[in-house]
Amino acid sequence: MSPTAAQLFLRNAAEKSADLMHREIIRRGMDSYDAAHLKGRARIKDWEAAREKCQEIKQEAITHLDRYLLQFEEKVTARGGHVFWAANSEEACAYVKNLALERGVKTAVKSKSMVTEEIHLGPVLEKAGIKVWETDFGEFIVQLREEGPYHIVTPCMHLKRDQIAALFREKLDPAVNSDDPAYLMTVARRILRQAFFSAEMGISGANFLVADAGAVAINTNEGNGRLCTSVPPIHVVVTGIEKVIPRLEDLAVLWPVLATSGTGQGITTYSTLVGGPRRTGEADGPQEFHVVLVDNGRSQLLADPEQREVLHCIRCGACLNICPVFRHIGGHTYGTTYPGPIGSVLTPHLAGINEFKHLSYASSLCGACSSVCPVKIDLHHHLLQNRRNATEAGATKPSERMIFKAWRRAMLHPWMYALGGWTMRKTLRLAYGLGLAGTALDPMRVWNRHRAPVPLPAQSFRARWRKGLNAN
Amino acid sequence: MQTEASSREQILARIRRGLRTAVLEPAPAKSVGVIFEPISNSLERFQQECVANLMECTLTADSAASAQQLAMILQSLPAGGIFVQDDPSLRRLIEAAAPARAVRWSSEGAPEESSQATVTLAEALIAQTGSILVTAACGGRGASVIAPCHIVYAKVGQLVPDLATALGRLSQQKILDHNSFACVISGSSRTADIEKILVQGAHGPRRLALILQATA
Repeated sequence: MSPTAAQLFLRNAAEKSADLMHREIIRRGMDSYDAAHLKGRARIKDWEAAREKCQEIKQEAITHLDRYLLQFEEKVTARGGHVFWAANSEEACAYVKNLALERGVKTAVKSKSMVTEEIHLGPVLEKAGIKVWETDFGEFIVQLREEGPYHIVTPCMHLKRDQIAALFREKLDPAVNSDDPAYLMTVARRILRQAFFSAEMGISGANFLVADAGAVAINTNEGNGRLCTSVPPIHVVVTGIEKVIPRLEDLAVLWPVLATSGTGQGITTYSTLVGGPRRTGEADGPQEFHVVLVDNGRSQLLADPEQREVLHCIRCGACLNICPVFRHIGGHTYGTTYPGPIGSVLTPHLAGINEFKHLSYASSLCGACSSVCPVKIDLHHHLLQNRRNATEAGATKPSERMIFKAWRRAMLHPWMYALGGWTMRKTLRLAYGLGLAGTALDPMRVWNRHRAPVPLPAQSFRARWRKGLNAN
Repeated sequence: MQTEASSREQILARIRRGLRTAVLEPAPAKSVGVIFEPISNSLERFQQECVANLMECTLTADSAASAQQLAMILQSLPAGGIFVQDDPSLRRLIEAAAPARAVRWSSEGAPEESSQATVTLAEALIAQTGSILVTAACGGRGASVIAPCHIVYAKVGQLVPDLATALGRLSQQKILDHNSFACVISGSSRTADIEKILVQGAHGPRRLALILQATA
């Protein structure tokens, strides 16, 4: 029997958190992010006001989601673009695949899009015989390694430059002779240039869908997103329905806040707006423009009275960067498209509470994620709600339910509690005395397996309390 | 096409049904604070931000000085053709700069991949972020991203203080109804994907040079 998602998670988390090299790479990456992020925040006069504004904009959009999506669709369609509504991954992938096959597409270039990862578009196109190039530098690297992105903003932050140089030597060119990042970028640029200019289709995601302007907003630093949306004759945008915002002017706050939270920049190098296919008289641009609006479980979240605001997420990655759990176990351990706190909240909704309820416990509930979220999503409380929902749905083990029943009784009957405490002290003293700490016979083995046992007190807390706490 | 129609209706119906649920989330606080420091001197701020964005910004006195600056930038580039937005002011500038290079005009189509530089105008300059706003009218989409060097010719009078003003203008003048594309460009292309080390020049230009002319 293959291991469940929860078993895999525990195994990989134990492995990764013991991998000191991995922890060192992540620590360095996060240290440089922290410095840039704080500097970026200092450039905004009132960061709290900026967060409140972004929250307000996204709430306005989500509360009238149908209206703004229709407004967006109408504008895009009027300019000769196509809007396709996909209820799930299959419909979204089938639309892009069929379009590619109908137009005789042999090569597609892709810029970064987490939604295409979520619906597994790449493998579907490859299976249909279409070569797909990831063109974001980090995505290009993880594609060569045949793995998913490690982080939603910096996909290859788990790799060191010499690993990337070795990968390039093996997969691209045996003559690669340096691990200088600028040199490695030149190697990738040379190869991807050919891809950009031979591809018949460019696929991008969207950071925002602007309803009143009928435009897709795409933020990139490398310019790969620009080339994907400028050079090939067909441009397909694949994005989630929750990306819509009401007005173009909203970007005056959202763009700087997204850049600050994502990388610490004041604004992303290329903040692009695309409203349709090339117009008559324009020098270049795709002849066809398609937008695939993916639902895939998002509309269900609207009906959740506690967690609708999860749809406000702008995918900046700030909650991943600050999360002490992410910093120890890394992005791949989550086994999900979206890792970190937002992924732990969102994945049970998109992929099933039963299979992914364990992610609600991949948190110390410290609240750091909620404190940095630029749209003020109350992430750690949503993790608590997911725990409760999983419990209420009966998705707990019988042994766990029994223990909590016993615990409840003990909490209601002091004599039972005292008896339990006395028994535990005696048992543990005996077990530790026999050198059984951490073995299968140790009732505290889950804790003691990896740690020195906590010294046992001579008396119960209640006894100490009666004597005055200092008497011990 | 049938599934398309039904999925669309289904999604819209689910959205509307979902929105009828009363939410228990607290309503967000109304944002009242001043988010960005107001900008008193747009030119000064713009120049500061250009330095931070690694963008070359040269202030010129008049069109003769601008042509000279353009000639100087073009001389520093490797041999090869250039692509220029077809606009009367740029035709005059190119004529004055007299580059010994093949010139392809935007009226002849998209820039060639081998172009050494592209020369375009801007729609506006944004002081707050040190950005150049271009639209499809500025020589098309590839004009600002295909060549290793992008040269922009703009006037000080095109400066706007902040993003809100620039986006407000895009919106009020319905510029996106007449242009399939617009972009706020803040420096040359870059990446920090390897070990968070900044590399200038990724898939787009390594160099973004602005010739900022004081007079109209």
